[in-house]
Order: sequence, then C-alpha cells, then structure tokens
Amino acid sequence: MSSDVAPSPESLAEETRRYHHFIVLALWLAVVTGAEIVLIYLPIPTAAILTVLTLMSAGKFFAVILWFMHLIYDKRLLFWCFFAGLALAFATYAALLMLFSVDRIDTRWFT
Amino acid sequence: MSDAAAAHEAPTSTGIEHKKLIMWLFLASDCMFFGTLISTHLLYRKLFPAGFTDAAGHQRFIQDLFSIELTSFSTFILLMSSFLMALAVSAMHKGQLKSFRRNVLGVIFFGLIFLGCQVYEFTHFYHMGLTIQNSVLGSTFYVLTGTHGTHVAIGVLWLILMYFYSFTGKLGGHVGALDVEVAGLYWHFVDIVWIIIFTAVYLVEYLGPYGIWGSGLPTVSQ
Repeated sequence: MSSDVAPSPESLAEETRRYHHFIVLALWLAVVTGAEIVLIYLPIPTAAILTVLTLMSAGKFFAVILWFMHLIYDKRLLFWCFFAGLALAFATYAALLMLFSVDRIDTRWFT
Repeated sequence: MSDAAAAHEAPTSTGIEHKKLIMWLFLASDCMFFGTLISTHLLYRKLFPAGFTDAAGHQRFIQDLFSIELTSFSTFILLMSSFLMALAVSAMHKGQLKSFRRNVLGVIFFGLIFLGCQVYEFTHFYHMGLTIQNSVLGSTFYVLTGTHGTHVAIGVLWLILMYFYSFTGKLGGHVGALDVEVAGLYWHFVDIVWIIIFTAVYLVEYLGPYGIWGSGLPTVSQ
C-alpha cells in the first residue's frame, strides 16, 4: 500500500494552488488575531467590541474549517455533518442562556 | 467541489472515504462536547462574576491572573501549527514525504510549545490560589482548558507516531495521504476550538474594569 497511485499533474496543480491559499490564510489569521488583541484596549463601547470580536472569531473559525480542513474543496455532505454538531452546540448554549437568563437567581443553591 | 477532487471520488456510496467521514462525524460530536464545556464556563462566569477567594481569604479577580502576552503567544503558535499541518497534508498529496516530515516536525514542536505554555499557566494560577476545587471559576476554567490541552497532547502523540511510521515505508500513496489528512482534520479542530476559547474565555475578561461579567451584573459571594 506504500505507493499505489502517483499524483496526477492535475492534482499536483490543484495542490500548488491550495498551497498559495494556505499561505495567504495563515497571514490573514495572524493579522486578525493581532487586531483582536488591539481591539480590547480601544476606548469604544464594550458592546461594539464584543460584536466585532465575535465576528472576527467566527471569521477565523470558518476560514480554518473551509480552507485548512478542505471543506470548500470536499463534498457538501461533510459540511452539513459538521454543521449539525456546531448547530447543536450553539443551541445548547442558547438553551442554557435562556434557562439562566434571570439575573436574580439565588446562587446560594449552587454552593 | 473542484474537478481534481471529483476525479478522486472515493468508491463508496457517499463518494467520501469512510475514514474521512467518520473523522468529520467524530469532530461534530466533539463540537457538542466543547460546546457544553464553553457554555458552562460562560454561564457560571455570568452567575459568579466575582472571581475566587485565595488561600489567604482575599477576593481575587481572574484579570489579576491572566497574561494576555502569554495567551496571545500560545494562540499564534497554535495558528501557525495549523498552517504547517495544512502544508504537511498538501505535501503528502503531492507525494513529497520529506516535506511532510519537515512540516509535521514543525507541528509537533509548536504543539509542545503550546502545551508548555499551558503547563506554565496552570502552575502559575495554582500558586496564585486558583484551584479546581476552591471556586466555580477554577472548576470550569481548568476543566475546559484542560480538556483542550488533553486534545492537543493526543494530537501531538498521534503526529509523533505518524512521523516515525513514515520511516517504515508504509505511509505513502493515496492511503497514506488520507491517513495524514484525517490526522490533520483533528489538529485543525483543536485549533478552531482554541479560536473560540481565546475569545470567549480570555479576551472578554479584558472588557471593562472587571471583564464583561463584572459590569451590570449582581456580584454574588461564593
């Protein structure tokens, strides 16, 4: 099983194209992470910072799963498989947030 | 899907290699697992914004402990390890075993640096009085970041084994490239989880004088 099929010129060209995408993405991820760190020290409203941080984080998240994890090149089924897990995770957070949304919860019950 | 990818469609009912499909399903389930851990941490931060009480009985805030420099460094390291992992997978698809080994060694090295930073952070926090038992914050923080660290450690171990396996001559061709791709998916997943943890656990604590949880919410003594 060591070397069953040699890569075709077509797939080699595809990999070279992806290679350039990976370099651009790595630079972009580094810049966005740097911007996130700068952002938390800016004298602007907390709600605005939180919104931008969330968007930046989501952008990095989807950039990695689409390009580094090849979801953009692979079959759509894989995206929906992963998205199902992601949606359930987010729904869990939303459900818990609603359950504990009352600020006057007597937290002595937890201790 | 690109033409090149279509040309390599797997001979399965879904057109996707079973190993890859199973890894994606596992990652989806792991997503739910981390989703509950992150949710728990955020909700308990909301309910107990006050931080923790150290051994001397002093009220401490998590902002006193966090080091944005260290966490940012760890984040950059993990992002760059993900980049090297993508290059390693690409090298295997091109049949370049030497390039694969170089990149995987880089990923292993960066992964070990990340783990070293986490060990330093945990040790520092412990000596500052934050333990897994003395506060809700300690429990949720250590469980969440510790679980992520365990995933990183498993990933590093997997890649070390794969690195040595590549010298046996059995890691090659389409099957070998698929094995490396599956390991790469796991590594990238560890990276995306950290992207969320970095924002939701660390960065939000720097918003406002006592973090986002310390403003506008009732402070509850533990």
